[in-house]
Amino acid sequence: MIKLLRLYGIEWKESRRSPLWHKNLIVKLLLAFTFIYLFGMFVFLGVILDDLMIKLPFDEINYNTYKESFVLRRLNQFLLYYFLADLIMRYFMQKLPALAIQPLLHLPIPKSGLAHFLLGKSLLSPLNWGHALLFVPFIIELYSNLSFAEASSWTLAIAGVVVFNNFFLTFIKRTSEVDWRVFISMLVLLSMIIAAHWFDLIDFLALSADVFNAFFLQPITAVIPWVLALLFYGLNFYYLKSNLYLSKLSKSKRSKVTYVGAGILSRFGVVGRLAEMEFKLIWRHKRTRTVLLMTILFLGYGLLVFPVDTYQGNYLMYVLFSLMITGMFILNYGQYLLGWEGSYFDHIITRNVSFEDLYMSKFLVFIIVSAAAMLLSIPYAFFGWKILMVLFSVFLFNIGLATHVVMFFGSLNPKKIDLNAGSALNWQGVGAAQFLLVIPVMGIPLGLFGLGVLLGDETLGLIFIAVAGLIGLFGTRIWIKMLAKWLFSQRYKIAKDFRNQ
Amino acid sequence: MDIRINHLTKVYSDYTAMSAPDLKIPSGESFGLVGNNGAGKTTLFRCLMDLIEPTTGEVIIGDMPVQVNGDWKEFTGSYLDENFLIGHLLPEEYFDFIASLHRLSKEDVSKKLGEFEELFNGEILGGDKLIRDLSKGNQKKVGIAAALLFDPKVLVLDEPFANLDPSTQIRLKDLLKRLKTDRGVTMLISSHDLQHVTEVCERIVLLEKGHIINDIKTSSQTLAELEEYFSKVGQTV
Repeated sequence: MIKLLRLYGIEWKESRRSPLWHKNLIVKLLLAFTFIYLFGMFVFLGVILDDLMIKLPFDEINYNTYKESFVLRRLNQFLLYYFLADLIMRYFMQKLPALAIQPLLHLPIPKSGLAHFLLGKSLLSPLNWGHALLFVPFIIELYSNLSFAEASSWTLAIAGVVVFNNFFLTFIKRTSEVDWRVFISMLVLLSMIIAAHWFDLIDFLALSADVFNAFFLQPITAVIPWVLALLFYGLNFYYLKSNLYLSKLSKSKRSKVTYVGAGILSRFGVVGRLAEMEFKLIWRHKRTRTVLLMTILFLGYGLLVFPVDTYQGNYLMYVLFSLMITGMFILNYGQYLLGWEGSYFDHIITRNVSFEDLYMSKFLVFIIVSAAAMLLSIPYAFFGWKILMVLFSVFLFNIGLATHVVMFFGSLNPKKIDLNAGSALNWQGVGAAQFLLVIPVMGIPLGLFGLGVLLGDETLGLIFIAVAGLIGLFGTRIWIKMLAKWLFSQRYKIAKDFRNQ
Repeated sequence: MDIRINHLTKVYSDYTAMSAPDLKIPSGESFGLVGNNGAGKTTLFRCLMDLIEPTTGEVIIGDMPVQVNGDWKEFTGSYLDENFLIGHLLPEEYFDFIASLHRLSKEDVSKKLGEFEELFNGEILGGDKLIRDLSKGNQKKVGIAAALLFDPKVLVLDEPFANLDPSTQIRLKDLLKRLKTDRGVTMLISSHDLQHVTEVCERIVLLEKGHIINDIKTSSQTLAELEEYFSKVGQTV
């Protein structure tokens, strides 16, 4: 037990010494702002939750029948959805930091202790206590409406559901990482639920209400989620305990050498050569490959808008989707611009290649992928030549301006990406800065378009977007020089950060 | 190509990691750096390769301070650690890449790699293992070979003998000696292996806690002198 507490002490140190705290002031401020914003949003939502429930335009529940429990009953109708969404969100966000205990494995701590430690640690995730922000204001209100026993048992049950979700999901995720069938069966289950909902086979609102109403009507039922949570804790525990071996933790699979592409790029001098290397990097790692495949997926997104009658002539939607079609790769790949190559940044510094050529090669990669997306989306002209016009002006913006903006943000405070740990659901390197990047990349063109519409018509808006792109494109040399200069001035710091990460 | 180090220091908030007030390494010299862990060997090399910012002073290779521009990278080969390797490439691809940056032809590369055949011992080329899947020793071979690929005038190697098997250590030693006599390469080598370093280097600089405490021209007594020093270091403090 003492040992376990010590482990938490180490954990506390780790979080306090995380590189997250060693960012520059602007990023820190942005992070703080995002955090406060999210925090505030949740609390605000929690405060207005009961008002919201009263004002909802449904009336299956008669206010006069229930009065005191009316608000709660309404909320309970939706909680099943809420916690299902929570599960899905957790699947993408929740980390399973099993590798973090690698240095502890050889120490005289029993495996069961380590397993308890890992499981207990998972409870500290903001994905768990985030719920409290939402529910606490609501619960305070609850105590004034319901009896103490009722309010308490409901509260206890909700906490139990959160804990259950935590352990249920970590178990599913853990097992699905080694056995894809688990993932598939979960997917099938989810599709069945959605299908059942779609065809009205099950009344989920009523089901949700039944389940969650029981928690305050029959206080004893509040034990159920806790029992289930304990069950999944146990499953997790035994799974972990029997799998805590180095060979099982670290995937030392021999990598297969794959690369398509005939080295045409290497004819374009050093820049082409570097671009070719970049494609090799992209192609040889799961995570980067996923980014590329996502780009292909986004090509299809146009089908959701361009042929649909509702959006006919809705240029704003056209612009938005065009931005995604030709810009998604730039955004997704470029946000970690230097991080991808973080494991050999010392090599980058000492090789005889200027930083200008480095940025030029990355710019070339963006142009190639973006242009390919543009070419492949030409068939959308079938739904109207104006769509092509939108696609093309946005394409100009993406390669001319978005590239440079993204390259700057991607060089700002980069985090090393461990390419070899790459799975599709790897969230390493994701930070607030990555989300903020969307603002200029999406915001500027939409703003320009809006300005054009305000001053004239849609065509003018498109012209604004295209001209901005062209200006960016003609200034490429200048921007890249500036970026290179900036990287040159930051090279020691970045190299140091990469070495320490 | 000669190297001059002027008033070079690296000070972290509370201690001096390395201080080399004045050091001249003439062209063609083989320069050995020894010292216990934390003596500042890697720090000195990193300053030399412009990987960390010195607190004061400068390093001049030829006539150009390394911090000002990257011209020295054209003729300086270096391998300090795995951060110099691109793990997701095959060794051949990595060599080709480095060679292309130095505008070498395919023939040049294969000729050059032929010279390393002995060093590689058949474990590097022709396999299907990416660099990241190689053992530490083999990774080091790749890094050293890449540093030598383009006939550098200056060569910087940090602990080249560590992690290598005994045969490779001997082969590397011979290779380095030949580089000195045949090509007049200016070599900077750090090592914990006193025997190897005294054999390869004509000059040994001893670092202790960031400071140069001895600068010896290698002679037959040097090894004994160094052993004497290292067996006593720490006791007298």
